Amino acid sequence: MVGRRGLLKFVAGPPFLVLAAFLLVPLVLIAAFSFRAGSGALGPTDPWVPTVEQYAEALGTPAFMRRLGLSIVTAALVAGLATVLAYPVAYFLTFRAGSRAPLYLTLLLIPFAVSYLLRVMAWKVMLGPEGGINSLLSAVGLTEEPLQLLLYSRPAVIITLVYIWIPFAALPIYAAMQRIERHQLEAAADLGAGPWARFWRVTVPLSLPGTLVTFFMVFIPTIGEYVTPDLVGGTDGSMYGNIIQGFFTRSANWPMGAAMAMIMLVLTLVVVVVALRIIDLRRVTA
Amino acid sequence: MRARSGSRRVALVLVTISTLVLAACGSDQPGGASGAATPSTTDQAAEEPNELLVLEWSGYEAEDFWADFAIERPETEVTFEFGDTDANILAQMQGGSQADIFHFYTGWQQFYVDQGLVREIDTSRLGYWDMVPDDMKALGQIDGKQYFVPWDWGFTSILYNTEQVPEVTSWDVLFDEQYAGHISMWNDGPAAVTVSSYVHGYDETAITDEQLAAIEEEWIAQKPLNVFYWSSEYEDLCPAVQDGTVWIAYAWQGCYATALAAGDPVAYATPEEGRNSWVGLYGISADTDSYELALEFVDLKLAELACGNAVTLFYYGCANEEIMAGIDDPILVEAFGLDDPSILESTNFTPLVTEEQREAWTAMWERVQAE
Repeated sequence: MVGRRGLLKFVAGPPFLVLAAFLLVPLVLIAAFSFRAGSGALGPTDPWVPTVEQYAEALGTPAFMRRLGLSIVTAALVAGLATVLAYPVAYFLTFRAGSRAPLYLTLLLIPFAVSYLLRVMAWKVMLGPEGGINSLLSAVGLTEEPLQLLLYSRPAVIITLVYIWIPFAALPIYAAMQRIERHQLEAAADLGAGPWARFWRVTVPLSLPGTLVTFFMVFIPTIGEYVTPDLVGGTDGSMYGNIIQGFFTRSANWPMGAAMAMIMLVLTLVVVVVALRIIDLRRVTA
Repeated sequence: MRARSGSRRVALVLVTISTLVLAACGSDQPGGASGAATPSTTDQAAEEPNELLVLEWSGYEAEDFWADFAIERPETEVTFEFGDTDANILAQMQGGSQADIFHFYTGWQQFYVDQGLVREIDTSRLGYWDMVPDDMKALGQIDGKQYFVPWDWGFTSILYNTEQVPEVTSWDVLFDEQYAGHISMWNDGPAAVTVSSYVHGYDETAITDEQLAAIEEEWIAQKPLNVFYWSSEYEDLCPAVQDGTVWIAYAWQGCYATALAAGDPVAYATPEEGRNSWVGLYGISADTDSYELALEFVDLKLAELACGNAVTLFYYGCANEEIMAGIDDPILVEAFGLDDPSILESTNFTPLVTEEQREAWTAMWERVQAE
């Protein structure tokens, strides 16, 4: 007879092993590469000589650090916009959609059925010189020539990433709003709070944990983005992830790429921890 | 107590994983060091797996590029994995790629031989070898041994829109500010060094630290002029040239021929500093279990269909000189410069680079990217 602890091990064991094999081991491998002397791609059987040379070079190159800073700002902007735009979607699903909520939720998730690359490429077409946005601007007489800055620019990266993230970002906020007890809103109404007061003083604080989860859920992976900037960013819109990718591919310098990836990982964790300490969730939701 | 025990177990798992990783990294046996091993016998061929893995550039997996082998060996499973730069191809081979055959371009031959990644080619077993010009054969030789089979070749020069740009006579048009926002450079450090060397008359094989610093500054200043750096000739560059987004580009002649065939207003410059020329080479991995099959594959790449398709469908030159001698399509004649007897005299062939140069040039380019 399997006891409760045995059952827990049985259930938790496989996910733990998968995480160890596909998250922890690659992470340790990247960390090991980042401290390995020499450049070029290194085979798993090549000699391993430890060094911090790559870290010194990465941290000592202002252009790399500027690009990292720019990527953090871009990621914060994308996360902020995606969260703000996803919030009304989640609100509508929770409080206004009624019995049709499952249908709208399904519609919201439809973009996930389309490949990420296709969604980005769709925006490449939309933002192009003969794309939908330029055609619309021209048709209403706002522009005579197609706006070049729409595609191959940082705004193009931000617009595309925000679009990509919105459906995903709405889900944690929706889950948080689902947990809001309706009688709390009714009590606020009984005490004389109008719709706006109920929204600001009840709904927003109680949905804040989900909102913050959404922000960081978008922020963290966006810092390391490289596919979208590569496709729509041009020379101006590239991000720190593109430099890491460049070291692993164009330059075949795996130790340098690994060191830069580790720097990003550590910095991202620091930013998240500091932000969460500043915000202090317990005080906000009290 | 239980918590401490749990922590110990977690620590044990971490230590075990770390030990395994470090142990995997720590062996000092050189990878794939069989170097110039002698070819397999026919008996060995019978024991080989009937499948091939080819490390290729995206687009080259099209069966048109290996049509003769597909006809001769329909039962053989040919699969492909991809790289998008020479550095990336080398990185994958160094990193333990299982590819039996790999495809790269001139300038990188020495690395594969020095690192024991490639097996010597037994040219006596190549049926189409006599159709390869001697100077191309020489490109695949290191220390007198034939390690590589030349296959595709072409030019690099400036592709430009004739409706927007007057005749281009120099590589320095890539730095011309009046075309800001309509220029596209290939996303590659060594290519950037090559262009600067042509423009300033540097010896490409002996770039000094000062020259490299000047080159870096030059490309940082040039960066805002680009609409984007292109990575794929047919996916990035050609569509942008054809829709008028890009007016001036560092380009191979395949894109030029494509745009020309589509009736677009384009020209391919013969700069006063000379065009660049490159040759693609196939090598057989030192670790392959399918040497005989790989040999047959690279041999049949030189056959009529595969070579002919490379020329007529994809506008690349091919190392089979009989195929090249048969070209009469005016677009191809123009693209390959076959109507200009002096074209090769003013062409710069890609030289071999050292590992130190490669590292310095690629690192320089990453800094340019980050600016």
